[in-house]
Parts: sequence; structure tokens; C-alpha cells
Amino acid sequence: MLPDERSLALLGPALARHALAKHARWHFPSVSQHSGRTLLEPMQTETSSRASPVVEALGVRASGVLSLVGGLGVLLVDILRRVVRRDFDRNELFRNLHRMGIKSLPIVTVTALFTGGIMVIQAAPIVQRYGAYGLLGWGAGFGTLREIAPLLTALMINGRVGANNTAELGTMAVTEQIDALRALAIDPVGFLVAPRFLSIVVTLFLSTIFSDALALLGAAYAGAGFLGVEPGVFYRGLTTGLLGFGDVAHGLAKSVVFGAVIGLSSCHFGLSTSGGAPGVGRSVNATVVVSAAGIFVLDYLLSFALA
Amino acid sequence: MTSSYEPSALPLGRTRSRLAAQLGRLFLEAFVAIRDLYRVFVLTLYYSLRGEPNRRAFFREMYEIGNRSLGFLCIVMGFIGMILVYQGGLQTQRVVPDLSLLGATFLQLLVRDLAASICALMLATRVGAGIAAEIGSMVVTEQVDALRMCATDPVDYLIRPRFLASLSVFGALVVIAAGVAFLSGMWTAFAFFGINPRTFANVSMVSVGDLTIGLTKCVAYGAAIPVISGYCGLTAFGGSEGVGAATTRAVVSSSLAVIMLNFVISGTGYLVFG
Repeated sequence: MLPDERSLALLGPALARHALAKHARWHFPSVSQHSGRTLLEPMQTETSSRASPVVEALGVRASGVLSLVGGLGVLLVDILRRVVRRDFDRNELFRNLHRMGIKSLPIVTVTALFTGGIMVIQAAPIVQRYGAYGLLGWGAGFGTLREIAPLLTALMINGRVGANNTAELGTMAVTEQIDALRALAIDPVGFLVAPRFLSIVVTLFLSTIFSDALALLGAAYAGAGFLGVEPGVFYRGLTTGLLGFGDVAHGLAKSVVFGAVIGLSSCHFGLSTSGGAPGVGRSVNATVVVSAAGIFVLDYLLSFALA
Repeated sequence: MTSSYEPSALPLGRTRSRLAAQLGRLFLEAFVAIRDLYRVFVLTLYYSLRGEPNRRAFFREMYEIGNRSLGFLCIVMGFIGMILVYQGGLQTQRVVPDLSLLGATFLQLLVRDLAASICALMLATRVGAGIAAEIGSMVVTEQVDALRMCATDPVDYLIRPRFLASLSVFGALVVIAAGVAFLSGMWTAFAFFGINPRTFANVSMVSVGDLTIGLTKCVAYGAAIPVISGYCGLTAFGGSEGVGAATTRAVVSSSLAVIMLNFVISGTGYLVFG
């Protein structure tokens, strides 16, 4: 679907020029005869477009972004319709949940433990300056629960699950397996896309809970190792009332949106892959970039919306 | 590396010994991967010092890694700056009413850790995936074998220019990204908390130690990302599926490497500089 649109967007100006030139020749033959050249000869239009290459590049860029957003929106509506009607493949959902969720646990664990440690090391100079060892749990916990754990988990899941998903769907698209599904009257969105989308959202939500807990554990022991703050003191700092369920819920709400972004963009780029093995590489690259940028932009907007 | 430690090749019946075999296999595979990665790294260093300079490839890769990542990086870092200052300001207000040190603390955090680390995570995603996809599709379409036929080491021809380009361009990218993040943070502090930009732009808390830690991180990440993703690309096999798998592996391993290097460098820096 998208390659056609994109090539249309690229071809758009040229096609319009061509049509206009044809139109002019058809309607004003006298002009073109008199001047010896057609009204909108390719030569002329070439120079006029060369005069504003920046504008043309901007237009192409903008129409590319718009067609991407439009494609994502159409896919989202398609998926949500299947999900509401429960018109998707359950077995595929559970298979994907296992593949994406359980198999990502090692990476999520390592990331979370190290992230908690890094948070404490970064908070250490400030804590030492004020001598506020009791506040270490609050400082590290606040940043971890609200921002860092959901964000880093989303980035890792984006790298592992999102990229993998695009690679798989892209391979299917390149080897015409999706067309084969259509030929067998199996709905590719209900069979392939909706289960993957759902399981990415669920995976990211559950992984964020998991990594919240592990990051705080890592932070507690890094605090003991680097600052000599007992883990008990750290946990008390977490629970003295400066942090509430609201902070955890804030992070979890974000993780659902991040999951939707990753699921949507990875499925979209996977389905619109073309051009053999290099094409698969290109669309995996495009997915991870678009998802990462989308995660940060939505993180900003959500921080305000949820405040 | 197939048959020697395949679990099915061992005469095993019990679950416990099968588990042990699987664990052993995991360790052996990890060992092989790390050894190969180390070999690629050392070869890259060797060729960087001894090989003939390939200026065209070097500048092309600098453009590919540096210039083409700049827009993406600026968007991400701009939003990061706004988010961090907003969240940090809100939270600090709960404990201390005085926000005049917000800018200084933010700048210190940016120089010490966030600018380099978040840039590196983003570049691990963008550049890492790009390198692995490019080299992986060359491997799958047997272009790398053709290189070997021409007596050229793919590490020399493909990974070295990327390594040198990434190493030289990474610092500049981090500086620009830190600037963008700081400016957007300054705007947020002014718009939401009414902090004067002059108060916000306070460099008094940034010490030589912070700068050293930040620059060390730049060098470490800049070296790690191209080597790891190039290695993942070179070990791709099996058609378009293999290219996809290699790209995934590149993103995951280079992100993990960034996080681990960050932990090690931050910890060492804390112990050294305090």
C-alpha cells in the first residue's frame, strides 16, 4: 500500500507538470504553434523547479511524513476494529506473547538492574552534597518509576521485539507470503497484525512492571555499594509518602502508549517492505528510528497530559 | 560451530543433565561470540593504525553517521531536555521551594551522563541498525565473499571506515545534542517555573571530573557501536530473514553494551572523582 503512495508522492509534481503541459497543448495549440514551443515545455518547468529545490524537497518530505502518519492511522483503525470484534487469532496471540514477552526477560532484567545502578550513581553527588541519605530512595525511585524504567524498557523492547517483528513481517511481504494469505481468504490483519500488536502492548506493560521492581532492587544495592546506604534506608525513602501509586501508574500509562507506538510502526513498516533482503534491512532500520522518535515525542506530550 | 556441543548429540536422558547441557551450550555460544567480537575489535584497531587510509569511505560514513543522524538526535534530545526539566522541577518543588540550582544540576547531569548516554542509545538504534542492515545484506548477497576473493579483509574495507567515522563524529554529535537539550530545558524552566535563563545557565557545578567522564563515554560508545553492529552484520546468514535477525541483534547488543559501559564508566568515575 505505502510504496505506491510514496512513489505517487514522489512522482506527484512530475505527473502534475506532465498533465499541465498536455492540457496546455490541447487547449492552446495556437500559442504553442506561434511561439514554436509548447506553453509549459519540460525545459521551462525544469528551470522553475530548479529555482526552488528546497521547497520541492520540503514538500516531498512533508508528504512522506503525512503518508506515514496516514498509513499508521489506517492500520490502527483496522487493528482496533478486529480487536473490538474479537476477530483475531487467539493461538497466534499466545504464541507471540511467549516469543516476545518471555524471551525478552533476560534483556529486560539486565537493562533494569544496570539502570537502577546508574540512577544511584548519578544521584550520588547531589545526595552527598546535602547529606540527604534518607532521600536517596525518593530521588532514584522517582526518576526510575516515572521516566527511566518505562523509557529504557521501551527502547530495549523496540530494539528486540519491534525490529524482530518488522524483520519477520518484512520477510513475509518480500516472499509474498502475505499475498498467499490473502489468496487463501485469510485476513492478514486479523491473523498476523492484530495479535502482534496486542502482544507487544501487553509485553511492554508487563515488562515495565518487572523492570520497575528490578531497577529499584539494583538501585538499592548500588546505593549500598557506592554510598554505604543500607537497602532498608533506601526502601524507607521509597515508602515515606513522597512517592505514591500515582508515580507508578504514570509510568505504566506511558508504557501502554509506547507499546502501541512500537507495535503500530513495526507492523506498518513490515507490511510495506519491498526489495528483497536489503529492503528488509531498510525497513527494520526505519522502524526502530520512527518508534524511538515517536516514543520520545509522546513521552513529552504524556508528561503534560498526565501531570 | 554446530555439532561439537549440540545437546542432542550428547547421550542424555534426564532433564537435569539436559538443562546442564543447555546451560553449557549457552556459555559456549556466548564465549564464541565474545571471542569473535574481540577479534573483530582488535583487527579494526590494527587496520586503523596500519592500513591504508580510505578517505572517500571515511567521509561518506561520517556523513552517513553524523549528518544524517543530526535531525533525529536533535528532536529526541530537545524533547528529553523539556521532559527532564519539567519532571525534575515539579518533583524538586515538593521538597525544596528554591529552584535556582535546577539549571546547574541539569547541566551537570547532562555533561556527566545523559547527553552521551541517550545519544549513544539513539545512535545504537539508528546507526547500529543501519550498519548491520547494510553489511548483513552484503553478506547475504555474497558481496563480502567477493571482497574476500579480492584479498580484502571485510573488517578493513567495511568496518574500519565506520569505526573511524563514528569515533570522530560522536563527540561533535554529543556536544550539539547537549546544547539542544540544554536550550530546550532552559525554555521549559522559563515557561513553566519562571526561572530566568541567566540563572538557569549556570556552569558552576560542572567540574573537570564531569567533563572527563562525559568525554570518556563519548569515546567508548563511539568505538563500541560500529564494531558490535558490524560484527552482527558480518555474522548474518540466510536471506532476508537473516538480515532482519542481524539488524535486531545489532540494536539489542549495542544498546546493552551502551548501558553496561555506562555503568562501568560512571561507577569508576564516581570512585575516582567523587
